[in-house]
Amino acid sequence: MNIAASTEIICFLILGSIVILGSLGVVLLKNIVYSAFLLGGVFMAVAGLYLLLNASFVAAAQVLVYVGAVNVLILFAIMLVNKKETLKPIKGLQIRKILSGSICLGLLILLIRVDITTPWPLPGPVSIGEQATERIGEHLFTDYLLPFELASVLLLMAMIGAIVLARRDVFSTDIETGNNAGQELIEKSNAPLIIDKTS
Amino acid sequence: MLGFLEKISQYTKEAFDAAKYLTQGIAVTFDHMGRRPITVQYPYEKLIPSERYRGRIHYEFDKCIACEVCVRVCPINLPVVDWVMNKQTKKKELRNYSIDFGVCIFCGNCVEYCPTNCLSMTEEYELATFDRHSLNFDNVALGRLPSNVTTDPSVTPLKELGYLPKKIMDPHEVSPLDPRAGKLPSEILDWMKNTEPSDSNENIQSRE
Amino acid sequence: MISPGLDLQMNFEQALESFGFSHEVAHILWLPLPMLLVLTAALIGVLVTVWLERKISAAAQQRIGPEYAGALGILQPMADGLKLLVKEDVIPKRADGFLFTLGPILVLIPVILSWLIVPFGQNLLISNVGIGIFLWIALSSIQPIGLLMSGYASNNKYSLLGGLRAAAQSISYEIPLALAVLAVVMMSNSLSTIDIVNQQNGAGFLSWNIWRQPVGFVIFWICALAECERLPFDLPEAEEELVAGYQTEYAGMKFALFYLGSYINLVLSALLVSILYLGGWGFPIPIEWLSTWLGESFNSPIFQLFAGSIGIVMTVLKAYLLVFLAILLRWTTPRVRIDQLLDLGWKFLLPISLVNLLVTAALKLAFPIAFGG
Repeated sequence: MNIAASTEIICFLILGSIVILGSLGVVLLKNIVYSAFLLGGVFMAVAGLYLLLNASFVAAAQVLVYVGAVNVLILFAIMLVNKKETLKPIKGLQIRKILSGSICLGLLILLIRVDITTPWPLPGPVSIGEQATERIGEHLFTDYLLPFELASVLLLMAMIGAIVLARRDVFSTDIETGNNAGQELIEKSNAPLIIDKTS
Repeated sequence: MLGFLEKISQYTKEAFDAAKYLTQGIAVTFDHMGRRPITVQYPYEKLIPSERYRGRIHYEFDKCIACEVCVRVCPINLPVVDWVMNKQTKKKELRNYSIDFGVCIFCGNCVEYCPTNCLSMTEEYELATFDRHSLNFDNVALGRLPSNVTTDPSVTPLKELGYLPKKIMDPHEVSPLDPRAGKLPSEILDWMKNTEPSDSNENIQSRE
Repeated sequence: MISPGLDLQMNFEQALESFGFSHEVAHILWLPLPMLLVLTAALIGVLVTVWLERKISAAAQQRIGPEYAGALGILQPMADGLKLLVKEDVIPKRADGFLFTLGPILVLIPVILSWLIVPFGQNLLISNVGIGIFLWIALSSIQPIGLLMSGYASNNKYSLLGGLRAAAQSISYEIPLALAVLAVVMMSNSLSTIDIVNQQNGAGFLSWNIWRQPVGFVIFWICALAECERLPFDLPEAEEELVAGYQTEYAGMKFALFYLGSYINLVLSALLVSILYLGGWGFPIPIEWLSTWLGESFNSPIFQLFAGSIGIVMTVLKAYLLVFLAILLRWTTPRVRIDQLLDLGWKFLLPISLVNLLVTAALKLAFPIAFGG
């Protein structure tokens, strides 16, 4: 085994353990801010895995979209919401735990079975490395054009929905309180410093 | 449609205006970079205080008649005049006089009203001490001559901006003998004396 | 047309192999050198920038600026750094110690990593990764996480607000920035910084991208200033409102990391502007003409050395001209309000950069000779 291959294996092990432990942390940690930061770490580790697979463009896109946009937005939402909620105790928690645990265990066993029985080293296409960017572009605009356009329409719909929700002048009254919720300027209009008494 | 186009043209105009004003602003900043720093390197260089500078107050014990006018005109009755009446001579006998410069606001009222001119303002302004009580000057301390910026060999005296010759901004370039821009008060007085009669006549004529 | 130029790695490894080392050992010995070089270059860049910032600010305000630390105060940034190094490292009692320490590191590392793609010559860059400029855009999107982290961990309302503002500003200006870069990338048909510069060096300064992308240049520069949190976009640390933003609770070396990060980011942005729009290492007249005038063969080692050093000097010179412009802008423009900032980003820069992209695409199809067919 030469240096490159051993480095690759070590990197893979480190990244894999970060992904697994990080995901466990995201689910199990009590502090939601920690979960969000750990999620960012998991995304980064996944980007590292893409890099190991010689897919640098996908890795960079992963960092840009998931870490730079999705995770930051999640953090934003967490930090802007300041609501303490007392959670109601759920009935039959024990049974639910056992049920979901057994389903997860079954899935794990299935996956392990698949892992053992499948012959993994298939002679797939050679990784194209740096040309991947162009190839992705070609695919997006030829055979994957419809899914691409559908995804963009979906995003457009989500954006319009967000704008409608955020703009208060669409609803003239606040939904919860019923008060008038106009969208006046935050600044006050300029009041003259000296009151004109003649008029 | 036309309204939309108008909006767009307005928007473009505003953007170009913003760019124009930004460029002008940068030009001003850039212009300032070429000017000489106006910094005075303080302990090594000092500005010469102006003629009517209101610094530490000088006091002549022998001239004082203990009239207490200075106390009365002082906004906070600061000067302490410690005198006793001498029964035999039926005159006030001054024992002590003090001003606390930690409290004084250097308004100069005492100097203005002193009937014997025993109080005067100096150009001394370096009054920093380690203890605020040492700013309470008694008649001995008040009688000390002020330190002088122009005679201190370790200090380069610099003229203030108003005392520089015309079109010169840097005090380092001028010699102490160069006259300042404009006329001195005495010169203005001379000029007024010489031109006053004709001037006033002209004024009267023009009014009529 | 494209010359191989200097290849330090090849020369270094050949030299080591001639001393009797095996090829692999030579390669391993080479590996840490570029990283060290990047760190040193970034640090020296920061020291020079800090000194320039202080001196130029002083000149703009008719002061003298640092004067006694070294000639003309040139050692002042070193003194500052030393002071921060020996200062006590304070972690507030109710702060989250781990995140508090991790935040500044997460801010600094992406910025330093982005130096990987900055070329100073044909082969004078750390790695010519295919995704090139896209790597910088991706890496700079990690920074807001670090800012949010330090803002949250400080347990201080000013820090939190500063962190949130920094993140909001950073993600809103990333989009026009990426679109402006995209227009350049479209013209050069490559994300690689080397290709982008090579595409601009056909006819000296006339072929620089600034003539083909004037709007893109302005958009990129505004966005770069916003990403670096330079005035007029320094809301996250607006001292009148937020004390020092996310840096409020930081002292000593952790504060120094933020400080370093912001200045490295400034130099990096200036370098990238010079690479994307001002022809990178290109001399204002084509270097091949120089070789014919000097009567020196273009491929002779002496001329290659000369061309390489000219390239480094030109890149750094262009970058520092932009740094100078940023400092002038700092003392010219007032700070924008947060609503003005977001208005500018979303309602002005974003549509304009989209139009710019469209126009570039149309021009590329219409005049493939001038706009990189």
